[in-house]
Amino acid sequence: MRRIFITLLLIFTLSLLSASLSYGQVQVRLRVFEASNVGTGIDSSLKDMRDQFKPLVDFSSYRLLKEETPTLNLNQSVSSPAHLGRKIELTLIRQHKNFADVRVKIKREEMDVLNTQVRLSPGRTVSIGGPKHGQGVIIITLSAQF
Amino acid sequence: MIDSCSSVSKLLEKYFDQEATDKERLLVKGHLQSCPACQHALTSMEGLRTLIKAPVEEAARLEDFPWIWQKIDREIRSQEKVSWWRSLRSWMDISPLFKKKVWIPAVATIAVLLFISTQVILKKIPSYSETSVVEYIESETYNIMVYESEKTKTTVIWLFDEEDQESSRS
Repeated sequence: MRRIFITLLLIFTLSLLSASLSYGQVQVRLRVFEASNVGTGIDSSLKDMRDQFKPLVDFSSYRLLKEETPTLNLNQSVSSPAHLGRKIELTLIRQHKNFADVRVKIKREEMDVLNTQVRLSPGRTVSIGGPKHGQGVIIITLSAQF
Repeated sequence: MIDSCSSVSKLLEKYFDQEATDKERLLVKGHLQSCPACQHALTSMEGLRTLIKAPVEEAARLEDFPWIWQKIDREIRSQEKVSWWRSLRSWMDISPLFKKKVWIPAVATIAVLLFISTQVILKKIPSYSETSVVEYIESETYNIMVYESEKTKTTVIWLFDEEDQESSRS
């Protein structure tokens, strides 16, 4: 009886420990794509983006340029090169079981093109777009995997 | 004579070991004077004692007894060092608290309280729906528009060039 209880206590302690360790990190999905009204091609991994952008801007073509799934650790920055010499820097600021606060910086030659903090939650997509790229615009999409 | 011999032979060992009573000793002494067989038996016993005594005394003389004792003492002490797990288990066996098993509900209560307090602390942190998705935003080069839709769970941050705004106005 005592042995069983000690085993259960150990499992409980270890699970608490592992939960606290994994609590300071989150995996995000980063997609960089070009949206334009030239052509009608939509990459299969961007079909959800068309539905989301339709009420705002109805682009006819979505072309994926880059996709990454970096793991963000608390207060540690992860940077990724983007289009036209820009750099995307992501930092996990706070994590909760229902959301993750992520600071997003887009830099060009050490100048902050954009500095924002967004709250990513399950199913939520945050898109940053606008800068011209080719015949369309560049859009960066972020979502967290909980 | 034979009867006397057989009864004396039983006392002969006691006599030899100086454990016989005065009466027995007198009896054996008197018998030995007239019995060559018992005299021979006594001589054999003395010979055997000499044979055993000499090497034992020699070995004892050569042996370093303090050193042996030190060795035994060291062995006893090394056996006294038990592992931490065994000591923990023995402590748990000894502890009357653990023997009574009152600690099981106590630990269970602590675990439940810990779980409840964790939930309360986590609830104090505002949930995502209570706050905006974009907590702050700034840009040195662009004008910004933020579009949020709870229906599609979409947030769009749109960056405008000065030129874009000029062209949209005209």
